[in-house]
Formats: sequence, C-alpha cells, structure tokens
Amino acid sequence: MELKNASKYIAGPGRVFMTVLIILIAVTAVQAIAMEAIRMFAFTKHTTERKSEPPRSDEEKRIQRIRQSSRQFLPDGTTHLIYEPRTERGRIIEPRTEQIYDANDHLLWEGPSDKKPYEYLSWAEEPRNYSEAFTPMQMRLTQTFAPLLARTIEIPVGTINNTEQIWRYRPGAECFEGYAIDGQRIGYISAAGFSDSKSKVKPLGAFRLFTAWCPQDSSIPTLLWQTNRHIYQINFEKRQTKLLFESANSDIETITLHAWKDLKPGTKDYIDSKKYRPLLVCITQDGVHHLILREPDQQLSLPGPRCSVTATRQSIYALRHGSGTVPVPSIATSPELYKEWVEQYRDKPRKMWTELYKVSDDGGLELLNRYDWVMPAPGRFMQVDPMLAAQRFVTHFSPPLYSLVFRLLGREFWSNVHRSANQGDFFYTMLQTPQYLRPLNGTVNWVLSALMMGFVFWYGWPRRVSHARFIFWVVFVGLLNVTGLLTYLALNHTAVIKCPACGRRRGLAQSDCIHCQAPLPAPKPRELDLIFRSCC
Amino acid sequence: MKFAALFGKEFRECLPWMLLAAIVLLAFGSFFLRAQAYDMNPNRDWSRGYNPPGTAVEAYRLTFNSPLAMLGPWLFCCSIGLGLILGARQFWIPNFTRTWPFLLHRSARRTTILTAKLTAGSTALVLAIGGVWVSLYWYACQLEVFTVPPPARVFIHGWILVIMGLLTYLGTALSGLSEARWYTTKIFGIAFAVIIVGVTTGEWSLARALAVIAFGAALLLSQLFDTFATREF
Repeated sequence: MELKNASKYIAGPGRVFMTVLIILIAVTAVQAIAMEAIRMFAFTKHTTERKSEPPRSDEEKRIQRIRQSSRQFLPDGTTHLIYEPRTERGRIIEPRTEQIYDANDHLLWEGPSDKKPYEYLSWAEEPRNYSEAFTPMQMRLTQTFAPLLARTIEIPVGTINNTEQIWRYRPGAECFEGYAIDGQRIGYISAAGFSDSKSKVKPLGAFRLFTAWCPQDSSIPTLLWQTNRHIYQINFEKRQTKLLFESANSDIETITLHAWKDLKPGTKDYIDSKKYRPLLVCITQDGVHHLILREPDQQLSLPGPRCSVTATRQSIYALRHGSGTVPVPSIATSPELYKEWVEQYRDKPRKMWTELYKVSDDGGLELLNRYDWVMPAPGRFMQVDPMLAAQRFVTHFSPPLYSLVFRLLGREFWSNVHRSANQGDFFYTMLQTPQYLRPLNGTVNWVLSALMMGFVFWYGWPRRVSHARFIFWVVFVGLLNVTGLLTYLALNHTAVIKCPACGRRRGLAQSDCIHCQAPLPAPKPRELDLIFRSCC
Repeated sequence: MKFAALFGKEFRECLPWMLLAAIVLLAFGSFFLRAQAYDMNPNRDWSRGYNPPGTAVEAYRLTFNSPLAMLGPWLFCCSIGLGLILGARQFWIPNFTRTWPFLLHRSARRTTILTAKLTAGSTALVLAIGGVWVSLYWYACQLEVFTVPPPARVFIHGWILVIMGLLTYLGTALSGLSEARWYTTKIFGIAFAVIIVGVTTGEWSLARALAVIAFGAALLLSQLFDTFATREF
C-alpha cells in the first residue's frame, strides 16, 4: 500500500487532534487569565464595600468575638474562650495580647499570650507543613522528568565529621538501599528489617508520608514512615524497622502525633513529656481512630466522626466539633451543589458546638463538657462569590462537551481525579480542566455554540467538499464552542471564487463546482503552451 | 543503495551540528562532573542530613540531588537545541535555498527520501547527545569518582531528556514542511512538540512519560509522512 494512502487515515484525525489540543490550551489559558482578573476586580470592590459598612452594635461585636475565639479546655473539662483582639493591619505586636472569657462570657484575664495563667490541653496534630512532613506530592516532585534530574531521599549514618553509611530510598523497590562510604553496598532496610540480600527484601508499601527527628541520644534521623496500610518507625543507626500499626481492612487516611518524637525540652515541636504520653493516631478511611500509646504501650480504637485526641499521664481525651449545617463532601466537587447549599443556608444562623470527651480504656467516650454557640447568618460575603461569578461568565466559551464528559464519568471518578491531583499528579491536574471549566450556564453556552454552528454553516457551505465532512464540522463546532470554531478555521480555510459557469460562490478545495459540477476554469492558452502540448 | 546514499548525504549535513552539540555537552559536562568529583567530601555533602540530638528534622533536608544533577539542564538544552537545529537544517533551509526540487527529482520514492532524512537526523541526535550522556554516566558510576554511585533512574531520566530532543526535531520538521504562514498553523508542529515535552517534564511515572512520548511521536510522524507525500514542492 502506498504511504500516501496508509498515512491518510492516521494523519487526518491526528492533525485535527493536534490543532484542537493547541487551541484548547490557548483558550484555557485565556479563560484562566480572565477569571483571575475578574476575581481580583470583584475582591477589590468587595473590600471597598466592607470598609464602608456601618459600625457594629455591642451584641454584634460580642457575636463576632465568640466567632473569632478559639475554644480551649482545661484537663478538668472547664472551657474557656481565647480571643485575640485585632491589631491594625500591618502592625505586629509581640507578645500578642489575649483575652480569656469563661463559658458565660465573663472576662477572666487579659494580657500577653506568653503569661496566661491557664494551661490548656494540647492536641495531636497532623504533620503536614513543608518542613514537618514529606508528602506524596513532594516525593513525586523529586521523581519528575524535569531537567534537574531525579532527587533521592538519603539518610546519612555516622557523625557530622565522619559519615560512614548512606541509606538511599528506592521508590521502585519501596525499600532503602545502604552504601558504605567507599561505595560498597551494605544491604537493604525494608518491611522485613535489615537484609544483606535483595531477595529477602519485603517492600514497605506505597509511600504516603514520612516525618523525621533525631532522638535525644543521636544525631542520626529516625523516620516515621507511613504507607497505605502500615506505619513503620525506622532507625538507620541500629538498622531496625519497627511496625507500629497495620490496618487490615482500610487504607490509612491521616495520622496525627503528640509527644511522639523524642525531643529535647525547649526545641521546636517539644511537648512536655512529664504531662503527656507519646501518642500516634491513625485515622483509617472507614472513619476509625486507632490510638497507639507508649509509656505504657497501649492500643485503642475510637469510632468516627472525626475528632482530635490527646493523652495526658492521667487520662485520654477526645475533642469533637459540630455544626448544624455541614455541607456534604460532594459539594467540593460541584459549583452547582455549592450554590444550592449557599442559597439554602445563607440567611439562617448556624448552631455550632464543641464537645470534650474522656476516653476509657476500652475506647468508650464519656462527655465531660460541651460548649454551644450560634453563628449569625453568613450574610453578604457568602451571597456574592466572586470566583463563582467569574467562572460562570468565562465558561460561556467552554466546550459543551466538557459538561457531557463530566456527567458521563460521574462524581466518583472526579473525586478520584481531584484526590490524585492534590497529591501532585500532573496528569490528573490536567484532567481536572473539564471539571473546572465546564459551562455553568448551559443555556448561554448552547446559544453561543448554535450561533457558531450557524456561522460555520454560512462559511462552509460554498467551501464544502463532501456532505459528511461538512456535517462533521458543524457538529464539531457545536460541541467545542470557540475552540471548535478556531480549529475549523485553521484547518478548512480556502479561497472562494464566483463560478464562471453558474455564478455562485465555490471553494477551491475541489476541482468541480459543488452547484453545477463545472470544472475549474483553465488559464487562457498562450503561445508556449503549444510547444509543451506537442512535446508531451 | 539509494537509501544509503541519501542517508550519507543527510548525515554529512547534520555532522557539523552534531559534533558541535557533542563537544559542547562533553566539554561542559565533564568539566562540571570532574569539578564535583574533585570537591567530593562525604562529611560536607551529607552534613545537612544530621541534626543536633533531640530535635525535629526538616524532612526536605533529607533529599539530595544526584552528582549528575548539574548536567541535567545542559543535557536538556543541548538535546532540544540540536533537535531544533537539525529540524531547521533538514526541512526549513531547503525552502529558503529552493533546493527541494534537486533532492526530489532523484529516482527515489518520497518515502525513501523522508525516511533517510529522519533516520539521519535521529541518528545524529542520539549519537551526539545520547552517546555523551552514556559516557558521562559511566564515568560517574566508577567507584573512585563519587562516594555513592548515582541511581539507575537518573540514567533513564537522561535518556528521556534525549528523546525530548527527538520530539522537538520531529515538531520542527513538521513546521518546516508546512505551507501555511508562520503566524498561523505553521508553528503548530513546534507548539505540539513543546506541549508533549512540557507534559513529560511534569510526569513522574516512567510508563506514563513513555506513553506520552510515543503518542506524540506517532502523531508527528504520521503527519510528517502525509505532508511530505502530498505537498507540492
């Protein structure tokens, strides 16, 4: 088969795809720029309007203060409200001034925050900021095919003046590989502990997070390593892997830590080990909180809903926050649902509460105290969402195909895409485009598409080569809106002449007139043409 | 025979650029690599991995660049640069010098001519950039050069950068063959290659990166053959 014929069937669709992709990216870039510009304009306008609001009454100020206060608990269950009065914008005053109120809104104390007379319970926190934890997103960033080549996680063993070993993480094998300083391989550290042979390696599992610290007796980092189902503590100096937790039924969603790291008093993140027990909380996707405690070793399970946990030397406590109007999780993936939710609750005050529980040794909860308050109606801030308004305007020019794709693939698919994109997956980040830029106002979008289809009909009718191709392009433009129109013009523009036979407009893409089948007019014969004719 | 002759002719045209790119990469690459190997001091290079006892460790301080990391940008620039130059040399210059008819009048099919051009260009790029990369990596893996040999993933990573140069070459070739004006769809070949290179640099999975590259290359190649077969020169 001739190459010309073979490539015709691949090259044609390939050319259309390539053009659509390039134009789609250009249109998306323009939409994103326009959206940000509109949002910035709306935000500036909103800030100016807020400045000119009338002064609040005393009651409004009180509600505002309660809203902005943090609710803290003493170990005996007493609740206090900590309020930090706002300073002028741009002014930093250290130490910060705080006001402490009791549950009946009586001022108990006011002064610098570092001199407050109460010691509240502190809670296990998720190691999530850039310096505390290494996340899947960071792990993927080290492995992207960027020009700076791949980076690796390496743990040195020795002293600062005499490094003896290097332990390097191998993402493919999900284990650490050790090298002596002369380049010789020492062995592997994996779920099976230390092994000198690759065949004995047991992979740690799909990486989720690690956090590191140097224990009080060493300057070599110890790692708390979380995978989908396991949590390990890895000591490279002793070449030990300790399995702290294994989830049999469900993946681990998050972990929180409190006094778990063996830190020196006075250092960053230090929690008083005389008052608190080391605590590691693993929250699995089925909503169960698995508590792993040390000194003495203990393991407990708490059922959902989500709570904060802490363990003092005397008791274990759990803290839960609640609201009368909690949006369902799917709202995060749907502007329409979010809009409905805002419409439903924007004029209604919301009931909020915080509950402190004591956790018994068998995982039972005993309510110690509860604090309730009412949040005023969200008001104007929630009524005008500049981002949503900007998105609605800009998406008038998005392909209607996005809406069809969004509906066909379903919410679960998009939730998974969203989750993967949040973990730094570039491919899934790009896949989110139809979700974010799908038309929010379908009617206007379809009207615009119909107008463009009309234009293509008018423009393409005299230029048509075949009816099938002509119909394809009209439908194509209808499905892709501006992108489709630009693609059509990029790939189908031909000059139009007046047919000498029938006098109607015809394109030059095919030799016969589409109206009267007359061939293209030949140039007038000249003298030299005779010579050529005779010799051919 | 015809193919070999055409290949030889095209390769001769690519040779100066190929040698230039190889010399630049080898000179700068070996300079940086040697300087780094000479400066290698395990106690200094891993010092930020240690912390005072009883302190929290900032997790990102435990990530380290490969000793070959400084070569990465050079490899990337040389690969993309050579791809652009070879594409322009083989498919744009004949437009300006009006030498296409001299090439096409030979008793060889257009497919053979295009295949010879693409094979010569790809071979030049792979030999120049890939060859230098293999030799630099081999040098870095010698035990006496660096304390710990660079990971194998870095070697694959380098080859992905070389392949990105090939994609740029195909994109430039397609743009060179296009008869459209430069400010319209003529640049789409290069633009598409840039998109594929961009997507690949943001990708972390080797399988997906290779799939993206294969898809991009297949699309560019099919259009190259179609354009070359149907275009009037």
